[in-house]
Amino acid sequence: MRYLYRHIIVTACFIASALTTMAQEQQPQPLMPGEKPKPTKYVAVEEEKQHLVFFQGFTLSGDVYGPVAYMVSDYGTMEGALRLNLKNTFFPIVEVGYGKCSKDDFNTKIKYKVNAPYARVGIDFNMLKDKFQSNRLYLGARYGFSTFKYDISVPSMTDPIWGGSGSFSMTGNKCTSHWLEAVFGVEVRIFRNFHMGWSVRYKRELSSTKNEFSKPNCIPGYGYTTNTTCWGATYNLIFDLNWGMKKSRKRGINIEIRDIPQQNDDKAAEQEDSQKENENGTEETGNDETDSSDNGVDNNEDGADNGDTEGDEDGDTEEGTEE
Amino acid sequence: MMAIGVMVLTGCYSNNCPLENTVTCNFGCYDAEGNAISYGDTITVTTLMPGYKTVYTYRKLGNMTVTKDYQDTALINQGYTETTSQQRKDTILVNKKYGASNIKVPMSYFNEEDTLIFAYQMISLKDTIKIRHSSFPHVELPECGAYRFHTLRTVTATDAAFDHVEISNPNVNYDGSINIKIYFNGVVE
Repeated sequence: MRYLYRHIIVTACFIASALTTMAQEQQPQPLMPGEKPKPTKYVAVEEEKQHLVFFQGFTLSGDVYGPVAYMVSDYGTMEGALRLNLKNTFFPIVEVGYGKCSKDDFNTKIKYKVNAPYARVGIDFNMLKDKFQSNRLYLGARYGFSTFKYDISVPSMTDPIWGGSGSFSMTGNKCTSHWLEAVFGVEVRIFRNFHMGWSVRYKRELSSTKNEFSKPNCIPGYGYTTNTTCWGATYNLIFDLNWGMKKSRKRGINIEIRDIPQQNDDKAAEQEDSQKENENGTEETGNDETDSSDNGVDNNEDGADNGDTEGDEDGDTEEGTEE
Repeated sequence: MMAIGVMVLTGCYSNNCPLENTVTCNFGCYDAEGNAISYGDTITVTTLMPGYKTVYTYRKLGNMTVTKDYQDTALINQGYTETTSQQRKDTILVNKKYGASNIKVPMSYFNEEDTLIFAYQMISLKDTIKIRHSSFPHVELPECGAYRFHTLRTVTATDAAFDHVEISNPNVNYDGSINIKIYFNGVVE
């Protein structure tokens, strides 16, 4: 409990200091005694922004964790997924796989076996602020279901009082299971349209068909039913089928606040302007950062420019359509 | 990295086996009006088993009759007369339980009918309960082992100390609920 309180206090102090810093950054610098505030004016600047097209294409992926898990444990899967890319933000996904479990308990000698397909549907959300970059950090949810038949065989049972013994095996027990998954994952571009990534999944069983003899011990695509919840993971090899991001460009008017040059500084400002004109020719836009640094006033940029820059640096194929 | 993940996820495995895992048929004790009671006498429950055994009975004029499962030559030397007979094999399931409010009795795995004999200390008569049931295996989880569950069909009983009996819950498993209610003669005041 003491650690909890300490943690809360430290967190509160950190948030308070961060808010204070942000507030100080937003406030203009205080004036010196006798100094007059600089007059400012609003200037309309025409600029060009890039936007992601809504439909970005398909993604195919395959899981390599499932086969490895089957090699080192009783349960494993072979799984592939088809995913839509909507604005590089939302990823509706369908996962289809084949689960296999073959368990032979060392102590009880009870054998459990199931081989069956399964499917999941859901959606991932890219949490990165910069949607133009190819790496992704996502949260998602899945609904999974599987219809399967499992086999159980029990060694000889001996009646300790009345005597007698008998073994039994039940094959083809029909079962349908439903479950939900919460997904957290990371995906990184390795080469061109090839990505790799992993995900961790928290699974919760909703329902499974039971009979009087047994319940399924292992559900394809879900895992062991020892508890009502379990953990899972995937390690995916991902191929983007869109071969690069599709972007569109939009022209818009952005309002900036600029200082009005003082009378004393008119000549110097005119000289600077003439120098810039000589250097840049007819280019008028794109000097936002220079202006803002000169004036010490932040522009109300929304970060899209940075994204544009990075998106361009990626070297992705652009299908720009000017509007 | 992936190997570590595989080992962690496959290594974190805990079973959820039931803590109470003894499958017994639970008898509840009630008076004739259905009030739960603790029976004020010792109860011994014996069950008949398949097969027969030889019983040796020794009698001597002026002495108590002695019954044994084995031949006792010492009694013969003392002048007892030995007679043999064939009886069903039996075994004691509950031994002299006093003040019982419920009695837990195991059931046979492969027999269709179990015969239970209730003997008392204060009453010389005995009661016999015959339970017809079906049995089936049950596997909760492979690591928990296999159990034999039962479904009660019919129950009949004599009326030495019993008023009547009835099936309360036909599903005999390890959940501990009362399966058969025994209503004893008399009413608790």
